[in-house]
Amino acid sequence: MKILSLEPSKKCLDNMSVIQCSNLSKKYDEVEALKKIDLEVNEGEFFGLLGPNGAGKTTLLKILTCQLKPSEGKAEVFGLETSKEFVSIKPKISIVPEQESPPSFLTPREVLELVTNIRKISTNNIDYWLEFFELEEMEGRVCRNLSRGQKQKVMLASAFISETKLMFLDEPFINLDPLVQTKVREWLKQYVAEGGTVFINTHLLENAERLCNRAAIIHQGKIQSLITLEDLRKQNLTLEELFHEIVK
Amino acid sequence: MNKLILFRMLQEEVRLNTSFASGKGFFSFPILVLISGLLAVLFSNVMIEDMGYKEYLQILHISAIFYGLFAGSLAFFGNEFLERIFGYFGLILGLSATQPITQRKITLLYFCKEIIFYTLFTMVPALLGAIIGSYYADINIFNLVIFSFTLYISFCTGISFSYYISSFYRISTTYSVIGAFLFLVLYSFLFYDYEITGSLDWYIHGNTRLLLLGLIVPLILSLIATINIKEHASNGSINVIGYKNRFEEYSQRYSWAKKVSLPGIIAKERIDLERSKTGTKMFFSFLFPLGFLTFMNWFLDKGLPIQIDFNTIFYGVMIGFFGTMLYSWLNSIDTPHFYSTLPIQVSDIIRARLFLFGTITWWIPLIFMALISYMSNELNLLPIGLIVMVTVGIYIVNYTAMSTGLKTNSALFDAFVFIKFFLISVPPMIAMTILSLAINHKPSTILVALSIICGILSLLSLAFYKRINTKWNNESFD
Repeated sequence: MKILSLEPSKKCLDNMSVIQCSNLSKKYDEVEALKKIDLEVNEGEFFGLLGPNGAGKTTLLKILTCQLKPSEGKAEVFGLETSKEFVSIKPKISIVPEQESPPSFLTPREVLELVTNIRKISTNNIDYWLEFFELEEMEGRVCRNLSRGQKQKVMLASAFISETKLMFLDEPFINLDPLVQTKVREWLKQYVAEGGTVFINTHLLENAERLCNRAAIIHQGKIQSLITLEDLRKQNLTLEELFHEIVK
Repeated sequence: MNKLILFRMLQEEVRLNTSFASGKGFFSFPILVLISGLLAVLFSNVMIEDMGYKEYLQILHISAIFYGLFAGSLAFFGNEFLERIFGYFGLILGLSATQPITQRKITLLYFCKEIIFYTLFTMVPALLGAIIGSYYADINIFNLVIFSFTLYISFCTGISFSYYISSFYRISTTYSVIGAFLFLVLYSFLFYDYEITGSLDWYIHGNTRLLLLGLIVPLILSLIATINIKEHASNGSINVIGYKNRFEEYSQRYSWAKKVSLPGIIAKERIDLERSKTGTKMFFSFLFPLGFLTFMNWFLDKGLPIQIDFNTIFYGVMIGFFGTMLYSWLNSIDTPHFYSTLPIQVSDIIRARLFLFGTITWWIPLIFMALISYMSNELNLLPIGLIVMVTVGIYIVNYTAMSTGLKTNSALFDAFVFIKFFLISVPPMIAMTILSLAINHKPSTILVALSIICGILSLLSLAFYKRINTKWNNESFD
């Protein structure tokens, strides 16, 4: 197996690290989901964690978003340990989990009102995000009665309205139609250009290739390759070729 | 193929339960049942002396029917519950959506699986315990096994009745009420001149025709239920459109409660309660246990040589205890997964639900208390009954919240959690029950004793409430 390990770009080195994992492992009974992960993501990066199903992507994201505790090692977000300082970390991050599960009995507008209420942020942007995701047509419908794609839009709107500097997205493009995918991609690019950081889990390599500055390929719980997309292009390699080479 | 599906369903049931509770906790449950069977036989002589032979057997049969009903309600009304709690929870029961097997067939197999599971998991251990007990209690083992068989038929009647009701419930709530009513009328008509179940009549009077009738009842119920299962069940309980935005209104209304929990969470939980129509379900869930209690009251009055009246204070204790059900319902309305994306903690949600329990669902126990005291001509005891109900309710619900968090139903499947719950809840209830029954003998002394117990329970409630933060702050919503 060919392992590529390229140096991060100069821009990344200049910036402050917002995510840091050292020697991070996670075991579920006898199953080792993550094996000694070392990873650093800098402010202003669009970072992709790529891997086949069951590679450990969601486990790592759950640890980083304070939903799981590691078995060994340490994960830090904004310099705060995720297993201990979640009260300080959670207001600073927004999350789109793998499973689209907006509150069943709230309407999309009410979900966004809930988010702004709990995060203590302005409600001024609610209409913008409802319109952005074409959810204003869903007024008067509770999320339980929405399609999976519409539920995913509610989850994305809840994250985008949160105005945090760091965003964790777990397979955010699943169930979205191509038009919305484009809109979301454009918005995320703009978000990063304005200083935001995105950590995205995906196995849709095309989206990762279009968006990420840097990516890691995880397989069987281990980071097999850490790459900058720019360097990859210089080597005339596509993400897909690299992915196949590592995972096959 | 049927055998294989049935076997996989049993495997699934065990795995599901061990995922709710710890493996040790789950597999300890049959031991708990075995001990209960042993104790029931050891104390049977005392009970028979007090109540009379026939009456004691009747109580056991009624209990078996109610146990079957309870097991069946968990099974047949539990799917909605699982779906809400765990989101996309795939069970073999859902196979008919993607595989060439009918909903009718898979539901029938599911019903068979339930009977086998409860037989192996509870009925067999109880029988083993009873057989061990019979060695010490000098009871004929052959008679014991025969009687256990009759009890088993009653259990099957209870679980089949749940299956029967659920098949109508899939069509509509009205159908389920009519279906239940028709069955109860027919059953009363058939058994009017006999013992409460056909198998018991056979056991006591040797009437073989009644044994056959007793065996036919669960079969007929299951047959009707199976025929009732249609391929495309429609769930019309939730409106598709037309919901007004209520969040802002409710979050402002509960802004005064910000010391208990975040007003936004209380508002969300309140809307959930309203739109899921769980209030109605809560109300009806009180009817079963209270019906059982009222029946027992009537039955003991009829059977015991000493007059025992379950008065309003006693019902206050019981209804307070049933507060656990209300809290459990609040936990089964919607999956908490979305909360994991927000900067809040599990304890915030627990406290919001406790707040709703105290402020929104209080009318359910109040209605029952008022009705019971009015019907028993004991309106004078209603104020004390209410104080007792509120104290016991707050005590038991705070403990339930502290010990089980957001997963009350599943956590109580863990034998260790259940034993602790039993030890915390039963002693004060027994003390208060004894005091309530003696209220007419020494009213002033009893009132002082009740006040002391209420005081202690209130202090313990406060301690449990304070522990919620320390126990649940670090937990995830998964």
